[in-house]
Amino acid sequence: MKNYDTLLKDLAPRKFNKKGVIWTSFLVIVIIIGAIAYIDQVRQGQIVTNMRDYALWGIYISNFVFFVATSFVGAVIVSFLRLTKNEWRTPLVRIAEIITLASITMAGITIMLDMARPDRLLNLFIHARLQSPITWDVIIIPTFLIISLLLLYFPLLPDLAILKDYFKKTKPGLSKIYGKLSLNWTGTEKQKALQTKSIKIIAILLIPVGLILQTVDAWLFSTTYRIGWDSTNMGGYFISGAIVAGVGALITVVYVIRKVYKLENYITEFHFDKLGKLLALACLIYLYFNMNEYLIPSYTPSKGEAIHLNTLFTGSYAGLFWLVTVVGLIIPAIAMFFKKGRKPYPMFIFGLIVVIGSWWKRFIIITPTLLHPFLPIEGVPESWRHYFPSLHEWLITIATLAMALLIITLLVRYLPVIPIQRTAEEKNLSKNDLKEANL
Amino acid sequence: MRGQNNIRSFFISLLSLLILGLSVQDIQAQEVKKNKLRLNAQYVKISNGQSYFDIKASARVEKKNVAVSGIEINVYNTSEEGQIELGKTATNHNGKGKFILKDFNALKSDTAGVFNVLISFKGNEMFSRAKRNISFKNVNLSAEMVVKDSINYIEARLTDMDENPIAELPLKIEVQRLIRNYLLGDEFNMTDDNGTIFVPIEEQLPGVDGKLIFEVVLDENDDFGTVKTLVESDIGIPIVDESTFDKRTMWSTRDKTPIFLLIFPNILIIGTLGLILYLIINLFRISKAKS
Repeated sequence: MKNYDTLLKDLAPRKFNKKGVIWTSFLVIVIIIGAIAYIDQVRQGQIVTNMRDYALWGIYISNFVFFVATSFVGAVIVSFLRLTKNEWRTPLVRIAEIITLASITMAGITIMLDMARPDRLLNLFIHARLQSPITWDVIIIPTFLIISLLLLYFPLLPDLAILKDYFKKTKPGLSKIYGKLSLNWTGTEKQKALQTKSIKIIAILLIPVGLILQTVDAWLFSTTYRIGWDSTNMGGYFISGAIVAGVGALITVVYVIRKVYKLENYITEFHFDKLGKLLALACLIYLYFNMNEYLIPSYTPSKGEAIHLNTLFTGSYAGLFWLVTVVGLIIPAIAMFFKKGRKPYPMFIFGLIVVIGSWWKRFIIITPTLLHPFLPIEGVPESWRHYFPSLHEWLITIATLAMALLIITLLVRYLPVIPIQRTAEEKNLSKNDLKEANL
Repeated sequence: MRGQNNIRSFFISLLSLLILGLSVQDIQAQEVKKNKLRLNAQYVKISNGQSYFDIKASARVEKKNVAVSGIEINVYNTSEEGQIELGKTATNHNGKGKFILKDFNALKSDTAGVFNVLISFKGNEMFSRAKRNISFKNVNLSAEMVVKDSINYIEARLTDMDENPIAELPLKIEVQRLIRNYLLGDEFNMTDDNGTIFVPIEEQLPGVDGKLIFEVVLDENDDFGTVKTLVESDIGIPIVDESTFDKRTMWSTRDKTPIFLLIFPNILIIGTLGLILYLIINLFRISKAKS
């Protein structure tokens, strides 16, 4: 068993090494390039994108849906596992909370990037109609963002107090910031009671709010009378897809952090095994909803729906559709049935595949439907009937992904990625150690 | 030295060629052939209403007929006294323009009572100048609804300005509808020696509040242009308004949001925001409970 000092040394935030600096610089450069592309888009208008009368929602929206989906990981790992008393979640919750915060922040930003007139953003609030799913989205995203922030912050309080003392001598400036953020945490009974109660409320609150967020996102599509979207299956389909995307993202980030920070003693193969089983379950549930979404309509399709399904099954989007379904969903699910598949490295690879698959899955949900309206649009060039993102769209979208990774990177840099207090409690460190640490 | 001179001569020649090339290009640009513009115009008179000219501008560009929008059209009255400008109009995105005659009595006719109007376009960088002359005589078209043997009829009479009947001209009768008019009876009802037509009205025609507006039309006549007269009546079957415009629906404006949608989402929103507020207060309470 490790003593308290070793634990603190292992889990306290550390300076970037050379690779960390290169990684962060790379992300900043990608973001700057994206920002330049965005400024050009605002200046010239959305003519610089390849979105036209047919594909009026492009990769900005599929990217937005991906971020919303990934943000569900907080509800899955923190809330579901907490309320079902799965103790193995401890070293994973902080990372899940960080991913949740980064994803929902970027979801909010991404939807604004899709606006041709961002200066009219306030109109969404001033002229909001409660009948519109867009308004529901406008309400739920900031709400979920605040809850995600609180979800990260409340459990951090004891750790911030620990870090205040830990960096007192070596980094007094940083120690002062940790001290301010710890809100005078001394570990009194009253503070602990308030914290425990608050975390419980957040854990419970996060489930309905998370479900509403995913469902509203699904209803943005299913309330629109379009082939492929007008489906009662969409709510469950999106929620299960969000679990897949979220768990996939968590596995990938956990693996990288574990390797970089050498946390093999804290995030063990046992945790990957558990995450693997969770991913398998998520993939199977998602497959079930996929069958409902694609297989059953193919039995009795209307003419328009048959064209749409043919495009996906055998037509121009077949390659991407089957790649996403088979490689991004079925193969990872099968791999997770085997113990070898649930080892850290294979899990990382499958996690990455699942995340990439999840991103393209959103593209598949959005684009082919838009290219198949009930009535063809007259008098438009043939090129408008096809869609592939422009360079501006790619640069801006990649920048948003880089921004999400930068948020994760910076939070991992300055916050303990594994809860120190809770880990110390679980590892039964001596009372003196805990007392000294104001736990 | 001689070599240097050769090089200099070569570059001067090259520069001259370049300048010459640019000049030729410039001259060619100036000589770009303008597209030929076509003007069409139709005189329309609504009895006891407006008189106006429907104007359409088109051109053949790259072997396609295209409507010419945004050009200025001048309208003149030509008579023995000379040419008087009546005013201007501009074409819309469909290449159409409408010039309303503010005072018909200001128009001068020739001795035969024919009005001559010149529709003219001065030309611009893209299109050559164009003009169109139209001539028309003034005419009276009166109409009323009459009932005979419990059947409703439209009786219309076409006369010249001296109240002399005009025979053997086709009139058509239509009912105004939302998208386009509905034709009553035959397409052409020829006026008799008294200049009249007598057309029965179909029963069971629906109308908002039972109101029907009939149009009697002399359509695009060479001598008189298009002449219309309107007859209003309330013999229609009243349309029951099934519109949900004033109701609280999912597709109405935000001031007509359904009540349930105001209650339940707001309960959810206020409940969630209340809990968030409570959590934020807890942060303050934690801060105060350090000892």
